[in-house]
Amino acid sequence: MCYICREEEHHDQPVEPPVAWVHPCNCTLVAHESCLLSWIQSSQQDASRAPNALKCPQCGTIYELESYNPRTLRFLNKLNSVVSMAGKVVTVAGVSCVIASFGFGVYIILTSYGAYAVQEFLGKDFDLVLTEDPSNWPWHAFINLPLVPVSLIISRTPLFEGFPLVPLFLAWTTSPPVQTTERLMTARWRRAMTSGADTPWGPLINWPPSPLMVTFLYPFVTKLYRRYFRRFQHWVMGTEPSTGTTVRRYVWALNDDRNLQVQVDVNALPAREEGQQQQGRPQGNEEQQEVDPNGEEQEAELPQDPAAVAERTIRVTSASLGRFVGGALLIPKISNWMGAILFRLSKYSPLLRRFLAIRPPRTGAPEVFGKWFDSQPWSQMSVARQLGVGVHMALSVVGGGTKTFAECDPVWWRNSVGLGIFVLAKDCVNLLHLYLTKREIETRRVKSRSFEGVDIKELDLLNPPQNPAALPLPTVA
Amino acid sequence: MAVSSRRLQKELTEIKTAGTPCGITLLKADDFQTWFLSLEVLGESQYKGEVFALMFRFDPQYPISAPAVQFVVDDKYKAPLHPHVYSNGHICASILGGEWSPVLSVIAVCITLQSMLASCKEKKRPPDNDRYVAHAPDNPKKTRFVYHDDEV
Repeated sequence: MCYICREEEHHDQPVEPPVAWVHPCNCTLVAHESCLLSWIQSSQQDASRAPNALKCPQCGTIYELESYNPRTLRFLNKLNSVVSMAGKVVTVAGVSCVIASFGFGVYIILTSYGAYAVQEFLGKDFDLVLTEDPSNWPWHAFINLPLVPVSLIISRTPLFEGFPLVPLFLAWTTSPPVQTTERLMTARWRRAMTSGADTPWGPLINWPPSPLMVTFLYPFVTKLYRRYFRRFQHWVMGTEPSTGTTVRRYVWALNDDRNLQVQVDVNALPAREEGQQQQGRPQGNEEQQEVDPNGEEQEAELPQDPAAVAERTIRVTSASLGRFVGGALLIPKISNWMGAILFRLSKYSPLLRRFLAIRPPRTGAPEVFGKWFDSQPWSQMSVARQLGVGVHMALSVVGGGTKTFAECDPVWWRNSVGLGIFVLAKDCVNLLHLYLTKREIETRRVKSRSFEGVDIKELDLLNPPQNPAALPLPTVA
Repeated sequence: MAVSSRRLQKELTEIKTAGTPCGITLLKADDFQTWFLSLEVLGESQYKGEVFALMFRFDPQYPISAPAVQFVVDDKYKAPLHPHVYSNGHICASILGGEWSPVLSVIAVCITLQSMLASCKEKKRPPDNDRYVAHAPDNPKKTRFVYHDDEV
């Protein structure tokens, strides 16, 4: 029986004219040759069935076809498949090129911002570290620089309260200054003047501390600052610091319409919902710590709410997101300005000058480690002395920084100090804003109007007087 | 007679003589274009006690081309709640598409669908049910189904 048309042919009753039967596979299925050929043909034309076209449906054996398949046809088929494979490759390559060029463009933007930021922060004197010409940059510049804007932005989120530029400074403080052709030439001319005994690192304890020390100390300084400022803030605002289980939710409100709630720092306390949000935001502009007045309100008006569940909903509208990112990227410029202001001020105060360690700009040629290293008589020193010299060298670099840093006018130091002052000032201003807002909420009253012009019969009065103007205003409860 | 008619005649004769398997009955087979069969899942299953109706539509190339099979949805019958069955009765099954072969028959399809329902763990609609039903063609063969699961 043909499995396709289900016609049966009995052995002793052959059909006239005879039809060709075929047994193409390993199982018991047989078919008319014409039925099978039309099945194969139609399934090869259908995209969903084409993969199974030459397989037996029951046992899976591949059917073998014989046909007039001259070399020309085979060659043409092969050519077709090769060309379509090439086409696929081109598609993939093209798409990845487009994506790569996007990525490259982004990388270039980040890197150039990073170079600008480093220059602003470290001061113009420091083109020892970076020159205008990218071909002179040390290799790690290309990794560190694009990270600069990213880490600036991230450092403003509460996730990364440390300033993750440690790799940046680590690499740069210990690397030799950039060799430009100009410097090499001036170094050659001045070689006679510099003494060979000059060590290329600074004294062990130096003021200002080397950049390496600063990066190590930075996280501690920021933590301490935040802790004490928070205490100060609580004292000013009259709140109790929450006992640790705060649930912070960032509500990203795009265009003030839809609210997507993104849960940060899951602390599994059931969140109180929109009711909190609608509790009257006092000011129109959204700021980061804006909820404090709301928090005050909550605690003042709903004393039954457990203070332990002190929730803060922080709203980041698109305007606020721009402020956030823009502020992060402005940090180098701000620190530059503050540094310049401090520099001006230091002209009037010698104490400030000592603190900022202002020095005249560097004139000598920068020292290079390698030269000094080679000039030491290593082979003549004992192992212990070698070790001693090595350790001394490492510690000096950590403590005092390379000699270039030690002798240069530490613009970066006064920039950092300036930035710190700026942050402190900004936090104080914010706190003032919050405090005043809270006062505003607490002292709110609603004004009553007189009843002139109102129809007396509309009011539910027991003894209606004749003159509406005689109605007393309700006293404030 | 066309190939499809001859074959369907044979299938009909076989149904009438050998009968249908348990749970499947022939409702209507007056012509060689549209047949109706009823389907019930026997034994302990999620669909115990529920009776469904299947509509088979054949074109002149049957059995080279697959029949259009869907569950009937009217006042009397509803589509079963299954992750491969849409609320308009269309079925996402590989044997009705890429895996169809002439070795299968109407009864074979019914048996396969019966076992598909019987092996269902969770009664739910396909994830894109609403979207599909809003834009579905009348004939399920026009849909390019993507077969997610292997257990059909």
